[in-house]
Amino acid sequence: MQEKVEAQPILSMNSVEVLYDNVMLAIKGVSIQVPKGEMIALLGSNGAGKSTTLKAISGLLKAERGRVSRGEIRFNGTDITEMLAQNRVELGICHVIEGRRVFEHLTPDENLTAAAPTGMSRSDLSGEKEKIYNYFPRLAERRNSLAGYLSGGEQQMLAIGRALVTQPSLLMLDEPSLGLAPFLVAEIFGILQKINKEEGMSVLLVEQNALAALEIVSEGYLIENGRVVMNGTAEALKSNSDIQEFYLGGGEGTDFHNVKHYSRRKRWLS
Amino acid sequence: MDWVFLSELAINGALTGLLYSLFAIGLVLIYKASSVPNLAQGGLTMVGAYVVLALSHDAGLPLWVAIPLGAVIMFALGFGIERVALRRLAGRPVVMILMLTLGLDIFLRGTTLAIWGGTSRSMELGVSYEPLFVGDIFVSRIHLVGAAVTIAFFVAFMLFFRTRTGVKLRAIADDYMASWSVGISVERGVGLSWALASVVALGAGVIWGEIQGVDQSLSLLLLKGLTVAVLGGLDSILGAVIAGLILGIVENVGADFLDPLVGGGSRELIVAAVLILTVMIRPHGLFGRHDIERV
Ligand SMILES: Nc1ncnc2c1ncn2[C@@H]1O[C@H](COP(=O)(O)OP(=O)(O)O)[C@@H](O)[C@H]1O
Ligand SMILES: [Mg+2]
Repeated sequence: MQEKVEAQPILSMNSVEVLYDNVMLAIKGVSIQVPKGEMIALLGSNGAGKSTTLKAISGLLKAERGRVSRGEIRFNGTDITEMLAQNRVELGICHVIEGRRVFEHLTPDENLTAAAPTGMSRSDLSGEKEKIYNYFPRLAERRNSLAGYLSGGEQQMLAIGRALVTQPSLLMLDEPSLGLAPFLVAEIFGILQKINKEEGMSVLLVEQNALAALEIVSEGYLIENGRVVMNGTAEALKSNSDIQEFYLGGGEGTDFHNVKHYSRRKRWLS
Repeated sequence: MDWVFLSELAINGALTGLLYSLFAIGLVLIYKASSVPNLAQGGLTMVGAYVVLALSHDAGLPLWVAIPLGAVIMFALGFGIERVALRRLAGRPVVMILMLTLGLDIFLRGTTLAIWGGTSRSMELGVSYEPLFVGDIFVSRIHLVGAAVTIAFFVAFMLFFRTRTGVKLRAIADDYMASWSVGISVERGVGLSWALASVVALGAGVIWGEIQGVDQSLSLLLLKGLTVAVLGGLDSILGAVIAGLILGIVENVGADFLDPLVGGGSRELIVAAVLILTVMIRPHGLFGRHDIERV
């Protein structure tokens, strides 16, 4: 870990434990820092505790009968551990939840309207929408059709655009690449990078697709069984042999086959 | 075939049907927000009627004051129900919320019985009972007024759901979790839906109270209201209006044919048949939305 002589991080999470239903310990003392204006990845396999970590930060745990039972979460220095989700969005934290979850029976335009902060003026909202449509031209074309009929990639873009309307200073994304073709992942990650550069927005990116994620972030954390097991710059992680073998698909180990096998089976079952 | 008589049956059936729609619009508003048919909608309708009676007859206010003031009281009551009862059930199985609405209905009936007793009282809106002839066809004035109230609510809600607040309510109806994730106050939205449904209940209570008198039996309107809401698709306000028209016409015309054959009581059979057939043949109703499936 490097010495903290630089500016205060936008997000700092210290030894956080999360309990679901008061019994199920899902993460066990996770500490993560997001420096201002940086893009950070949180990597790990299924069930490692990535989504739980994001929900602890956004306050969405409560909706799933979960709570932070130890540790604290600070946003720009303010303790937000017990704050309502709604107030955290007002502070500037927005969480693009797993599985896209756009408002299917609303148009993309209405999806953006729904997310507008209560105080935002009509002209600010339309300015904000135009900005988002500039980032995602595919959305602009389909702004008046039902969001439920958009393609997976378009829905992911809409989910991100919808989060941008809340004007976050920290955007958290939960597996945005899931189920998307590689060219779409590249397109979406490219846009995220562009927004990060142009607006100085900090990003916390949760991914199983470590290969794609490590291309755009500066630093990453690896989480396993509810614990951070590795932390380093993107370069360091990319060259780490464990990461290469298990997460970048470089090795021919059994784990790699298991992952493939699992996803194939899942498709049959769903 | 007596065409004049048949059209009279159909037109009056349609007007009565729109009064069922008025009731059903309240059910739809709550179904959109809470994903349950509100079994207390009948209770709320009855309370709405009693509140207006209390303000006009007991407190002596003129109707044009009593009705808007009653609407404000019902609005607050709807919000209160979310705050006091529903919020505690967040995250529990939907069937628990359904049971809560049943309990609420029983509670409301008991409360009005305790306060105002069980004798039927009349609303005295002052709508004339002089026959009104449109051409050769006789129509009831109070039904005409009620139908106009329904249309007014319908138009108001169509416009409301295009406003920013309305869009947020539709978002809540789509996905609670996604709504929370972008800072929408789901609790306030659900409260607002209950508040609006309670105001609609007051509208229905005043009209139906005028037609059949104000007592606990007003809460039984739930059965026909629910049939209309299910036929319309439970989550569609337009569906509630069209389904009301259909049920009203089928019931009135059908009963005229069937009553001589079965010796009365065929109205209930027709309503039952519509409800059962809808659920069996078209569970999403005429306008209910399916979950969108992409291939
Ligand atoms: N709502 C919940 N209730 C109980 N346990 C949960 C809930 N959500 C997740 N968990 C458990 O917490 C652990 C971490 O899950 P999650 O954070 O979703 O992992 P990831 O996002 O890395 O796949 C898993 O063991 C999972 O079963
Ligand atoms: Mg997850």
